[in-house]
Amino acid sequence: MFSGKEKIIPILAMIVLLIGIFSTIYVYATQIETNTIKVNGQDYTLDQLFLIGEIRIIETDEGEKTGIALDDLMSKVGVGCTQCQKYTIKAKDKYQQTVDWDIMKTGILTDYGRVYFPDTAHTFWVRDVIEIEVK
Amino acid sequence: MKNMKLAAGILLFGSLWGFSECIIGSSLNELGLPTGAIMTGFFAITFLVFSRLIYHKPGMQLGMGFVAGALRLFNPFVGCHLCSALAIMAEGVIFEVLWYKISFDLSEFKSLNMQISMGIVSAYFIYIGGYIMSQILTPIISGPGLFIENLIVVLPNILSSGLLPALIGAAVLPMVLLIKKIDLRLKDRVYYPTTIGISVFCWLFIVGYWLVLT
Repeated sequence: MFSGKEKIIPILAMIVLLIGIFSTIYVYATQIETNTIKVNGQDYTLDQLFLIGEIRIIETDEGEKTGIALDDLMSKVGVGCTQCQKYTIKAKDKYQQTVDWDIMKTGILTDYGRVYFPDTAHTFWVRDVIEIEVK
Repeated sequence: MKNMKLAAGILLFGSLWGFSECIIGSSLNELGLPTGAIMTGFFAITFLVFSRLIYHKPGMQLGMGFVAGALRLFNPFVGCHLCSALAIMAEGVIFEVLWYKISFDLSEFKSLNMQISMGIVSAYFIYIGGYIMSQILTPIISGPGLFIENLIVVLPNILSSGLLPALIGAAVLPMVLLIKKIDLRLKDRVYYPTTIGISVFCWLFIVGYWLVLT
């Protein structure tokens, strides 16, 4: 005879696997493939952004990283009162993080579409960026 | 005396877990492998279940999570210090909750089906729980605060990312349970020098390296 646990745990394992499988399918099916990055509502290619923004090298705990300075970029794409805003950085797999100006102004966007900040947890380092929303 | 033995065990297994997170985890990260999934599915499950098999004490794995998380904060190598440390601490707590109703002699796990199922359930919930907690706590502790919409949007990714550790856990837990048949008792005069010696080595190595690099 099966006891309660001997019934529940295998069923739970099946449910867990199904959740994992279906969420994996969902994540891949809803990934946004684009060659542009939307910044403050306007689409740009990475090349265009590198022409607009100042190149900066920052030191992270994974070594030196080079990219466009986000503080300079925000000014040049027409964000008013940069320090009053919050910035949500979104990835193609829908991962997103919101930062305030104190963090944003220290960051860079690399030529492979990754945002780095020198003094934050890696949670805020978004890869495959497709949008920087200004709120 | 029993409490001293337990404390030494928590220190030992927590230190070994944290040490493997720093050394092996960092190496896996450099190789571009799915570090979090392997560290949870293999190492966390191994240390957590193995310690439970040996000590048969509630709360031990909770303590191990805090010791391992604390050591992970000093990781001198690449990787996120704070988010990983928070995730590891959460993993210890979640393991305790999941295994709360499981007997200490693990008599429920006689069949391979049960062992595999518990491996899946444990690794999955430990991994996604640690991930969710790090996503909640990291912005609160070190960032601009929690933005709940960021967490909601990223939930499918989190639920998806638990699949690999779950599959690893399914293979690892039955292997760890094989150890049940081995007699690992140590005499007191060997137990304390061994547990404390290994723990001190882990801490000295990681913190020493961290001090050298900073």
